[in-house]
Amino acid sequence: MKTTVIGAYPKIGDGPEAQELRRALHRHDRGEISDPELGKVFDDVTRTAIGEIEAAGVDVTNDGQIRWDDLLSPFARAWSGVEPGPLERFYDNNTYFRQPVIDGRIVTDGRSLVRDYTFAAGVAKTTLKAAIPGPLTFATLAARDEQYGSLEERVLAIADATAREIAGLKAAGATMIDIEDPAVAAWPKYIELAREAYRRLADPDLALTLVTYFFPADSVLESLASFPVAAVAIDVRSRETTAFDRLDAFRTQLVLLGVVDARNTRLESADEVARYAERALKLVPQERLVLATTTSLEYLPRDVARAKLTALVEGARLVTGEKVPA
Amino acid sequence: MTDNLLLTTTVGSFGKPDYLTKARGQAARGKLSTAELEELERKATAEWIRRQEDIGLDVLVDGEMYRGDMVAYFAERLEGFKIGGLVRSYGNRYYHKPVIAGKVSRPKPMTVSWFEYAQSLTSKPVKGMLTGPYTLLDWSYNEAYPTRRDAVLALAEIVRDEARDLERAGAKYIQIDEPAIHARPEEIEIAIEAMGIVTAGLSAKTISHICYGDFAAIYPQVLDLPVDQLDLAMANYGYRWLDLFDRNPFTKELAIGIVDVHAHTTETVDEAAEGIRKGLRYVPAAKLWPHPDCGLKTRTVEESVEKCVAVIEATKVVRKELAKVPA
Repeated sequence: MKTTVIGAYPKIGDGPEAQELRRALHRHDRGEISDPELGKVFDDVTRTAIGEIEAAGVDVTNDGQIRWDDLLSPFARAWSGVEPGPLERFYDNNTYFRQPVIDGRIVTDGRSLVRDYTFAAGVAKTTLKAAIPGPLTFATLAARDEQYGSLEERVLAIADATAREIAGLKAAGATMIDIEDPAVAAWPKYIELAREAYRRLADPDLALTLVTYFFPADSVLESLASFPVAAVAIDVRSRETTAFDRLDAFRTQLVLLGVVDARNTRLESADEVARYAERALKLVPQERLVLATTTSLEYLPRDVARAKLTALVEGARLVTGEKVPA
Repeated sequence: MTDNLLLTTTVGSFGKPDYLTKARGQAARGKLSTAELEELERKATAEWIRRQEDIGLDVLVDGEMYRGDMVAYFAERLEGFKIGGLVRSYGNRYYHKPVIAGKVSRPKPMTVSWFEYAQSLTSKPVKGMLTGPYTLLDWSYNEAYPTRRDAVLALAEIVRDEARDLERAGAKYIQIDEPAIHARPEEIEIAIEAMGIVTAGLSAKTISHICYGDFAAIYPQVLDLPVDQLDLAMANYGYRWLDLFDRNPFTKELAIGIVDVHAHTTETVDEAAEGIRKGLRYVPAAKLWPHPDCGLKTRTVEESVEKCVAVIEATKVVRKELAKVPA
């Protein structure tokens, strides 16, 4: 039973020794350290994040998105035609993001993530995956769009830019990429538009995962099963959901089941994680089921995030009868 | 006479003076006693009461010099809560997100002495300032209650007791902030039920501040929130929520945000006045309260003052216009 993480990892911990990035950003703001000095701290913290995820025994890691202020801003900054705009709450979290403002044709060289991916690949000892925001999420969270005449045009333009980033990641050696797209579950009425966007992202050589979270995917579950992606991630903890009883909709894709709640400190036991897995195994074979966190662990303090990863891995090992380390 | 039209106020928090920010840091590291910190908090509160009077605001606030954030302050004083680890809200800003670890209860009043102190410094009314039960739950981790509704209703009883104590202490205005109310629009009924518990039997004017989120998703249902006045961020949204009032008329008093609190630069008086004029298309001047979009705690003292001055100057402009219109 494989395990993985989703999204961002906590950038700092509670002890002073784990707050190097917070201090470095303050010093950078005051002009006391240079961009390269700040960059080194970002790299150090990325190394720590990957190290902690791997130490918990998670099979597939990411780079923890340590340089990302939020899911969209790295791209709103890197892409021509978009700027990071006003602050807004990110869905139902007391966490903010900058809403993209689109003021021109969106253009990217597709290399926005290459440097970070290459660095993380040099650090990770286990399988590494990349991540990028989904087109429907990016488009529906935009504050303003002075370029594209309709949501459809905007989504497809963002999909084209996303496809270029995916190609850039592929050239850098990535084989697995999460496309974080909670809007696909939040806005069921746009499911066919999302499908059209994902057609533009598909690449037979890449394992793309359409990652939903926060919202139940109930009303789009069967549709997602026919999206051109290798895997679909579903959050079964944030709200009531019928997904457990309908996972047989996925006949070929991997199912990344978000069983460890990354938005509440209440710690799942390994038994509880195993019970979720066993429910899913009634409808999905083990080789196509991956246990995951529901979303970014950055919604939790770092020590709780670590404990959650341990519960995730121990739960997965219980299911397969592997010995849980003392 | 237009003095009682377009009464001005603020949402609650102001920028803390440097000496207080420094003192809070020292206190957190155990290098300053609670009594010494409180002395400075009282000094800063008095300074803000004086500034608000000088600026010419009509209904004042204590400025929340003694609070770090609007949920943790209460969580630290309630039984059943523990203070969790650091989580990021945005950029390089972090906060200790509270954890509801057991049944919640209120050992003693939490805000009354600050209200009494602030009110003693001025003859103008000072608002009692509380965080609403839905927001207290939504911005905490819930490890104790089986459902979110169970937790919200338990918290509502606590906020009700605090509101009653504020009223007994003389508060004529009690603000119960619910900035998280649109976090899950499908739960608006829970927030309304909880606010009903809080405001039942109060004779003070009740206000609820709502900001940063999809207000359209809870409108017009939010008109059932049992408070007299809704206090909304508008400038940051280009006043687009006003369009909702075309289809479903706004039925409460409206405190309208006319300056964006997340920008370092302040709107011109003309821009802010135009915000008031937009509000007047939907709400009469006797029920329209100009103010900044949100609390000003992320701004410096100087920026906070500048934003409040813009509100006052814009209000004067529009009051003059109203005076010219024959009744």
